[in-house]
Parts: sequence; structure tokens; C-alpha cells
Amino acid sequence: MNKTEKILEVKHLKKYFPAGRKKIIKAVDDVSFDIYKGETFGLVGESGSGKSTTGQTIIRLYDATDGEVLFHGENVHAKKSRVEKLKFNRKMQMIFQDPSSSLNPRMTVLDIIAEGLDVHHLAKNEKERKERVEQLLEAVGLNKEHATRFPHEFSGGQRQRIGIARALAVEPELIICDEPISALDVSIQAQVVNLLKKLQKEHGLTYLFIAHDLSMVKYISDRIGVMHLGHMVELADSDELYKNPVHPYTKSLLSAIPLPDPEYERSRKRITYDPSIHDTSEEPKFREIRPHHWVRCTSKEFEQYKKELGE
Amino acid sequence: MSKLLEVKDLSVSFNTYNGEVQAVRGVSFDLNEGETLAIVGESGSGKSVTSSTLMGLLPKPAGIIKSGQILFQGEDLVKKSEKEMQKIRGKEISMVFQDPLSSLNPTMKIGNQIIEGLIKHQGMNRAEAKKKAIELLDQVGIPHPEIRVNQYPHQFSGGMRQRVVIAIALACNPKILIADEPTTALDVTIQAQILELMKEIQRNTKTSIIFITHDLGVVANVADRVAVMYAGKIVEIGTVDDVFYNPKHPYTWGLLGSMPTLDADNEELYTIPGTPPDMLNPPKGDAFAPRNEFALEIDAVMEPPMFKVSDTHYAATWLLHKNAPKIEMPESVRRRIEGFAKTGKKGGE
Repeated sequence: MNKTEKILEVKHLKKYFPAGRKKIIKAVDDVSFDIYKGETFGLVGESGSGKSTTGQTIIRLYDATDGEVLFHGENVHAKKSRVEKLKFNRKMQMIFQDPSSSLNPRMTVLDIIAEGLDVHHLAKNEKERKERVEQLLEAVGLNKEHATRFPHEFSGGQRQRIGIARALAVEPELIICDEPISALDVSIQAQVVNLLKKLQKEHGLTYLFIAHDLSMVKYISDRIGVMHLGHMVELADSDELYKNPVHPYTKSLLSAIPLPDPEYERSRKRITYDPSIHDTSEEPKFREIRPHHWVRCTSKEFEQYKKELGE
Repeated sequence: MSKLLEVKDLSVSFNTYNGEVQAVRGVSFDLNEGETLAIVGESGSGKSVTSSTLMGLLPKPAGIIKSGQILFQGEDLVKKSEKEMQKIRGKEISMVFQDPLSSLNPTMKIGNQIIEGLIKHQGMNRAEAKKKAIELLDQVGIPHPEIRVNQYPHQFSGGMRQRVVIAIALACNPKILIADEPTTALDVTIQAQILELMKEIQRNTKTSIIFITHDLGVVANVADRVAVMYAGKIVEIGTVDDVFYNPKHPYTWGLLGSMPTLDADNEELYTIPGTPPDMLNPPKGDAFAPRNEFALEIDAVMEPPMFKVSDTHYAATWLLHKNAPKIEMPESVRRRIEGFAKTGKKGGE
């Protein structure tokens, strides 16, 4: 992995939603991180943490309230002409959680996958269009006979494969996977994860992988960011995060993952997160506690966490 | 331990426009007093249909019990009328559903929803029942129960709602609690709290629990015994240690192998190829054979019976027949299970 080339830079991203007359909900509140070319960046958190909103704001399904998203150094949220938008859309694609509601039930698989090809005029004629779709279907483990069928004729796992083929059709560089396996059965989840890994190797893709299933995120990601109530509370290489979690919220989240191991489960000690232990003397900031290991804390907590890590 | 519930050769089908869907095909298991039996399986494996049949909640007229007995304290529940079932449901056997929002009535105060069962089954008057409702809310760990009892479901968070549903299910001290994916809709930290709550309640009340889930991590946490279901049948059943540390059925191997562990290994996940069969036309022979890389010729012809592995452990695969070739579980699955045992001994840190 080339750790030097940043494909995406998220800087102080904020997304607020109005709720009622005077209230606002800070779904994403000052989140910053970078994604390097060819890596998988995992974003975890519980419901309401803002992880999906972050993903959707990055791809400009939402306009950011404040902050910047730079893709190859270009601001995604700046005013853009239609042509520029098209160019951007081709480079960043998304895979959604629910494969049945994200595929148009009235379109054949051929048309669903080829929609991107049509929009970007990537196929010269009908024959090329069909060939390309058949290629994509085979790449995601389906048959070319499937092209003429409709989404309802497929199982959940197969539908998710169609969603992946659709995202791949325009040859993107970055794919945002928003809980792509949560709706699937265990044995099918492994199939889809293996497929995503294989495609990444073959096409040199970069993934932003959003999920709440921490063991799967650990498995697929190179680096992981933990979100809680709109903030990024900790960011580190995935091994480092699981071995040396620093933020109390990360610790509680990790201790809550059930593992398929009865002995482990019998002796498991769960850590509960108590937000009141935080130092409130100053506004917490994102600080680097070890090389590439960041945590949101105040300067006092920073010293304390450092001691805990034995640095 | 005495048997509280015996399910014998239960088969359930649904009549649809396309024909008969054989959702459950000859399921037998026992439930002992005070134990937790987990039923694991993928969607369509028949685990939820099994549980709604136990409760007498099969949708009529589509759902039909084709054969079998459900013996609860010696009485066959299959033969009971709806009126008789109403006396059992909620009192002797109660249920917690997956989605706490849709299993609570949004227009009723939660207190009244708990009281319903108490008045009907226990013959309490309103004042007594309300006092008991407050006690129950306290028991399931809801703070300020005397205020919360007068609130509506929308005023509760997802985890708190599930606690309310558990309180309702426990109101009449049932002998059996059936929990159908009770934590699937919840976040992991909330899930951990609810699982702890259920275990604590079981310690205090000795209620038997049937826990239906697809999450093997949750099973390892709550279960004493595990039944693995595939295509409407139990393919392996045993104590939680039997099934997790010494699995015999290739389907169980696949399930265990397809879950990543937290130890750093970047090897490919073991996967079960293909998809579950269509239960409109279940395949002849062993339903798992088309997805089974270890399938024998006999699998295509004849269904395997339950082979005994030990007194507590049974599995339905021809691989256990004395004439079968000696096939061990795949290397990657074996390594994973050894890894489990190791982290387990570390004491879960």
C-alpha cells in the first residue's frame, strides 16, 4: 500500500440537520481524516454516531454544513459545472446496505448495471454495452444469463453482488460501502467480503467501509476510525486499535463484541462507557498519541492516556 | 434436569400460490428446566417458524402443522384449540420479538401493556397489577419505573423498549421464554446489556429460554445447548462446547469458518458456496449436499439420520457413518477453533 498518496482528505467536516424550530442535530461534528490510495478505511460506530451521514456527505448526497472534502486535492463541495460533477461521480461510487431497496425493481439487471455506462457514454454500441455488463457479472460471481432478469429473482447476497457490479461499471477509484453486509446471512457475508477483497486487489480500489459489525470491520480494514455522537473519537491502524484501544468509548465498544467462542464469552468482562469521566476543563481535540494513532482528548487526558500506553 | 418441553418430529408447511413451502421438516428437540437452548440458522432455515409454532402463532390458514407433537408438561400443544392456547400463551410460554417498536402498541402507556397479562392470567386488580408492573420495570433495569410506567413507547430508546418487552414477557412468571432475535435490531453495547439482563433473570427465576438467532457470537454468550438448523431441519445439536469446539456437520464448519476472529489473520474467510435451497422443492437427499464440498454420493439419494457423537451431541451427516471416508474439518476452520480455545483460556483479557 502506498501510504503517501492521499486519495481523500476530510477536513473539519460538519453536517447539521435542523430539528424543529430552534434545535439542530449535529450529526457530524468536526470530523477529519485522510484515506490513502489502495487502502480500506473502516468507519465504525453505533446507530446515531454519524458514520453513514459522513459517508453520504463525502459523496455529496448531502451538502456539508462546514468543512471540506478533498478528492485528489479537489474540493468535492465546491460549485461545479455539470461536466465536472460527472467526472467526479465516475471516480467515487457507493454500495448501499439494503440490496433490495437500492435496485430499481422495474429494470433488468442489464439496465441497472449499464446505467452508469450510459450516463458516462462508456459503451460505443449496444454490443459493447452488453459485453461489458457480462464481464462485470462474471467479475462479481454471477452468470451472464442473469443479465435479462429482474432484481426480485435474486437472493439477498446475489442482489448485493449486482449492486457491487453497478458500482464497478464506471471504473471508480473510491467506493463507499455503507453497511454492505449487514442485511446478509453469515455465510453470505463472508462471500461478499471475500469478493470485495478480491476486487480491491484486481482493480486497485480504495474503500471507505462503514459498518457496525466490528469483527468484520477489523477483518477488512487497514485503518479504522471510531465515531461516537458525531465525533471521531479514535483513529488507528486496525491491529493497533484492537490491541491498544485508548478512548474509553472504544474500549467499551470492543468489549461488547460477542465472539463465537464459549470459553471467551464465559469469562468476558464488559467495560461500560461513562461519559462523565471525561475532563471538561477544555474542549477535547484530536491528538496523535502514538505514530498514526489518534484520539480525541483534552491535554490532561492526553497525558493520562500516554501513561496508560506506557509511553 | 427434567424435560420441560419435548418437540417430536415437527413438520410445518405453508400453502402459497406457488405450492407448498416446507418450512420445517421433522424437527425434534428437548428443552430442560432452567436451560437456554439456542436455535441458529440462516434466514429461511425454519428457526422462526419453529418458534411461532410452539407459541401457536402460525398464520392461519396458510400455515399447517403436517405432523409431530409439542409436549409441554406432558400435554400436546398441537392438539390445543386457540382458546386453550390463549391460557398458555403469555402465562406458561411467552415470547420476545426482534423489533421492540413493532411489538409494542404505540397508543398505549407501557404500564397498561404490562398490566393486560397480569389481569387476564393472574386475576389481579388494577392497583395490584400496576404495583407489579413497576416492580417488573425495576427488575429489567429501567430507571425511575414509577414515572416510566405512565409513558408511551416512543418515549423510550430501542434498548429500553426491548427491556419493556422483556418485562411484559416475564410478567406472569412463564416457564418458557422464547426470544426470537431479541438483540438483532440493537447496537452492540445495548445488545450486551440485554443479554446480561436475560441471563440474570434466568438465574433468579429459573425460566427456560429458547433463543433464536443467526449470530454465533451471541449464541456462545447465552446458550447452554445449541441446535443448528438448515433447510427446515436440525443438522447438529449439542452443548455449546460440543458445537463450537468439536463441530461435526460441514454446515457448522462453514458457519464457524465464515466469521472473522479479532486475531490478526488476513487469510481469506472460509465460505459456504451457493445459497440455501428453495423450500418449495427441497432437494432430494441431504438438502445441504449441493453446497457441501464433502458431500458423498449417498447424500444425493438419502437423507442422513441423526448420528450420535456423544450423549449430548448429535449431527445429521453421512460423514459420521462407520463406512464413510474419514474426513476432517477444513484446515482453516480447525485453526480458527484452536484459536478460539486459546483466546478463551486467556480469560477474555
